[in-house]
Amino acid sequence: MEKLSFVGKSITRVDAEEKVTGSAIYGYDLVLPDMLYGKVLFSTRPHAIIKRIDTEKARRLPGVHAVVTGKDAPWTHGETIKDMPFLAQGKVRFVGEPVAAVAAVDEDTAQAAVALIEVEYEDCPAYFSPEEACNPGAVLIHEDYDSYRKSDIIVPGPLPNILEHFKLRTGNVEAGFRESDLVLEQRYVVPAIGHAALEPHSAHAQVDPESGKVTVWVANDAPFRVLHETAEALGLPKEKIRFINPYQGGGFGSKGAMKVETIAIALAYQTNGRPVRVKFNRAETFVSTITRHEAIVYIKSGVKRDGTLVARQVRIYWGAGAYAEKSPTVCIKGSHPSPGPYRIPHVQVDGYAVYTNKPLAGAFRGYGVPQTAWACEQHMDELAQRLGMDALDFRLKNVFVDGDLSYWGERLQSVGLKETLLKATEAIGWGKKTGQSNPPKGIRIGKGFACIAKPTRTPTTSTAAVKIDSRGDVMILAGTVEIGQGCTTILSQIAAEELQVPIDKVRMHSLDTDLIPFDASTTSSRSTYHMGNAVKRAAVKARDQITEMAASLFDTSKENLELSNGKVRVKDRREPALSFGEVICQKLGSDGVVAGDGAYTFEMGKDVDPQTGHSEHASAFYMYATQAAEVAVDEETGRVRLIRMVAAHDVGKAINPLNCVAQIEGGLAMGIGAALHEELVIDDHGRVKNPSFLDYHLVTSLDLPKMETIIVECPDPNGPYGAKGLGEPGLAPTPAAIGNAVANALGTRIYELPLSPERVYWAIQTSKKNPSPSVSAEPVVSNPTSFR
Amino acid sequence: MQCVAVPAIFPGWPGERGDINKKIRITLNGQERILEVVPYRLLLDLLRDEMGMTGTKEGCGTGDCGACTVLLHGKPVNSCLVFSGELDGADIVTIEGLKIGPELHPVQDAFRQDGGAQCGYCTPGMLMMTTALLRENEQPTEEEIRFALSGNLCRCTGYAKIIQAVQRAAEMMREKKITEAKG
Ligand code: FES
Ligand code: FES
Repeated sequence: MEKLSFVGKSITRVDAEEKVTGSAIYGYDLVLPDMLYGKVLFSTRPHAIIKRIDTEKARRLPGVHAVVTGKDAPWTHGETIKDMPFLAQGKVRFVGEPVAAVAAVDEDTAQAAVALIEVEYEDCPAYFSPEEACNPGAVLIHEDYDSYRKSDIIVPGPLPNILEHFKLRTGNVEAGFRESDLVLEQRYVVPAIGHAALEPHSAHAQVDPESGKVTVWVANDAPFRVLHETAEALGLPKEKIRFINPYQGGGFGSKGAMKVETIAIALAYQTNGRPVRVKFNRAETFVSTITRHEAIVYIKSGVKRDGTLVARQVRIYWGAGAYAEKSPTVCIKGSHPSPGPYRIPHVQVDGYAVYTNKPLAGAFRGYGVPQTAWACEQHMDELAQRLGMDALDFRLKNVFVDGDLSYWGERLQSVGLKETLLKATEAIGWGKKTGQSNPPKGIRIGKGFACIAKPTRTPTTSTAAVKIDSRGDVMILAGTVEIGQGCTTILSQIAAEELQVPIDKVRMHSLDTDLIPFDASTTSSRSTYHMGNAVKRAAVKARDQITEMAASLFDTSKENLELSNGKVRVKDRREPALSFGEVICQKLGSDGVVAGDGAYTFEMGKDVDPQTGHSEHASAFYMYATQAAEVAVDEETGRVRLIRMVAAHDVGKAINPLNCVAQIEGGLAMGIGAALHEELVIDDHGRVKNPSFLDYHLVTSLDLPKMETIIVECPDPNGPYGAKGLGEPGLAPTPAAIGNAVANALGTRIYELPLSPERVYWAIQTSKKNPSPSVSAEPVVSNPTSFR
Repeated sequence: MQCVAVPAIFPGWPGERGDINKKIRITLNGQERILEVVPYRLLLDLLRDEMGMTGTKEGCGTGDCGACTVLLHGKPVNSCLVFSGELDGADIVTIEGLKIGPELHPVQDAFRQDGGAQCGYCTPGMLMMTTALLRENEQPTEEEIRFALSGNLCRCTGYAKIIQAVQRAAEMMREKKITEAKG
């Protein structure tokens, strides 16, 4: 490969200056002229019929401009199942559901008006566990589910309240279990957690009274998708809707959903053209936007005495909460890789996304993989232990390598998994004594690791344009949202590389759907790969125009030209170089512009078959990672302290190594939080008990151990410069790696997250009373909550 | 339940507030200002809503995240916990006042170069807290940095790059001092 000048370099983030001076404008900062302030009345019941809403007193309060309820906003929306009203319609399905909203001259007035709205409810039975909600005979949370508009990917389930059933069928698991020497079955539980992006959610909306055009200012990470969803909901043509993106103060999946947006739009229809700002405070953000799916995972495996995996059956109950949101696709994309990155001849997976009367679950960094990895990777360790095999040897025997045919029927290529396994375990000193060979009394030390493969949303499309003006300044028009991941820098590096211009000559336009070409979404770790390719193609096209013009100016052929530092010159000629700006001025005049466009779709990509879970190209690329942990557990308090963490990630090609490390570290911290203390606690009335940063424990600077990151580069043949994605996997194997280390330290395993001191303490006490059964290779079924 | 049925703080609030304004004199980023404020409004809202200075961020409004940190008489405070009515005579520095002329403050420059900001929403608060720390302690250890920043939450970075940036800033400031002393 040619030498690269910008790609592969740790170039300083191009958005950093705005961020360190406080001049970057985020969604929460935005002020619009003449705007009104919105506030929301939320449901206090988990599942109830609305008998009466009285908004009279609120309407009469001076300063109030609009009060809306479901009646005034008769629209429903949803990505794949149109089940969610803008404001509750006749029924509420979780505590925290928006029931009514007010727009007023200031927030205090709006809040005071909200308090004057009276609602009368009639309670219905409510479900707070996905397993309970799909018991035969359970009351339906959505009576009209059958008549909702749905996309073709939806497969309804066989039991009540199941909104999506994912199936994967390969071989014959029953036969596989019969062939096996050891069969082990376990149940794992992952609770709901919050995205807890530091910027709370907000949206601003305006409806132009003349044209009917709806404009929404919101830090949404999928503006083109929500534009489509809004158009469908309102029955408007797409050109009547415009989304404008300010900076986003973190999202991690939560800000791709339409939650505040719907309320702002509903209000804006009633304010005669005045824009409306709706801000959720921290508690509202925790409860009334979205959460990460709770999951209950049953996993059963059959292995041969020599450690060969023969069969695996997985059944997952995804707690969707009160509305479908992205649950169908989380169920599909999260269940599909749940058996883990291993060669297994007989596989059966059933994923059920189940409605409950809890806050909605939606996209969260990792899209289901963190939950199933918690189950699969601990299960792998326990299998190894019962076989009397080393956990690393057991994995190496079964793990995906280049050329393997996966259990979903795809021939895998560019698999860097084994390398991540070897490097991470080596760095943690797997199989070697720990650094602390004589820990203090009552402290137990352990090591563990876990690995994952994470697919990306496929097939999807990114389009971009690259413009060069007569000053030689380069502008990228691309619909990738800067959510903190560094896309502005990465895409600028790619454009700079193709054009050979200094990085400070390159800028990226802010996102406005009226102006910027289409992009599917800034999700699923897809941007570097898809948008990177699109920007690369666009830059090449722009470059070709420059070189064509320059060739005629220099009176030579294009092949004789070379580019560097924003200039073009003839190879081996003494003639002075011309800057891009000069070329454009001379050929097109001082107002001249050249522009190239580029698009990228992973053409071979095909969604998995809904009946078998098979696809020859289920994902444009796969992200592979192994993380390892060393922990110290205090027997007296149950507290788990991390001594160190190692993360080895296959990124294909690190376009910006510093940014890769930063993404991995951030992911690790999130994974550590999920492993040790994060949980949205919901009581038996459906109320979130800890919707604040005081009670919901995010990791602080004091909670983190030494983190070592290892970048593995196993290039992807179609990725730009070989790059894959990286945004999500950082947190996916973390809890399982820590869980395995804790089990290694204690000799007893914990099946439920988080590994809070209390849970660990009781696990220690229980194991003292009944020490775990001696390890044998006889068929055993531990944790015998059986398959239904 | 306090999280959803948020009680109105001022039931029957008439939408006017002229009668309870209070005049205060403050120094904001080095400039003297005379303001008329509603005494129970928070400093955070005063900055963001009344003065249009949105560099100071709101992450929780309840004193739990540190995004709103500003310097009050040189000490870091959560501006969401300070009432405007208490501010007469106050000296306040916000992120907008950190630059030294056109130059970035070393703390800003270090965060910029070392990847201390990802989404950047916690960044202004982190920078103000770091500034306060380095004023009191020119050469903080990693432990001291971790402790000083423990009230400033960040969901993006895992803090590693932030801590590195603080160390670099400390170094840059020490070097600057030495050159200044020599020069
Ligand atoms: S906004 Fe003040 S501490 Fe969070
Ligand atoms: S950089 Fe996003 S919260 Fe710190």
